[in-house]
Amino acid sequence: MTQQTFKSAKRRYMRVFWPLMAIYTVIVLAGSFGLNQLDPEPKWLQATLAVACALPVIGSLLVMLRYVSETDEYTRMIHLKGFAWGGVVTTSVIFLVGFLQLFHVVEMIEVFWFGPLFFFAYGVATFLSGGRDCL
Amino acid sequence: MKNVIRALRSERGWSQAVLADRLGVSRQSVNAIETGKYDPSLPLAFAIARIFEKSIEEIFDDETEAQLAAE
Repeated sequence: MTQQTFKSAKRRYMRVFWPLMAIYTVIVLAGSFGLNQLDPEPKWLQATLAVACALPVIGSLLVMLRYVSETDEYTRMIHLKGFAWGGVVTTSVIFLVGFLQLFHVVEMIEVFWFGPLFFFAYGVATFLSGGRDCL
Repeated sequence: MKNVIRALRSERGWSQAVLADRLGVSRQSVNAIETGKYDPSLPLAFAIARIFEKSIEEIFDDETEAQLAAE
């Protein structure tokens, strides 16, 4: 085991995570503002912006995975529990909502909202597992 | 698993953060191990033993062995 495992992993995580979030915020704000100025909105630009908005989020997920693999064993356990709960909650809600839609009980719900749901469930589970200071 | 890490740490006047830094883990990890909420892996247990210059058995109380002996 190398020295400063936890601290160096956290530093590497923070160094990439916050710039990614800043890029995400800029793209989302500038993109939606820019598109509103155009009429009609070009399809290729809409597609490019959609992908550009998703990329930093995908990047942050990969960075989280790297953090989990590099950090100390207890922090890793806490975050993996959070990931597991996030996955279980999100998948359960997807199935529940999916069947409710299939049986015409509820209207269509944007798939987009399952992403924030995962992060919310992951955050709550990590916090409850005692990981509030692990990140 | 019960252990004497808190006592050994106090003897040396180290805070949890100091021990965590020496081990390369989070302060939360040290707290979880001290309170018995988390059992460390063998490499981490060896690292703890090395830092306190003790054997693993001197630091960690093997409750499983005690249970087996009682049975």
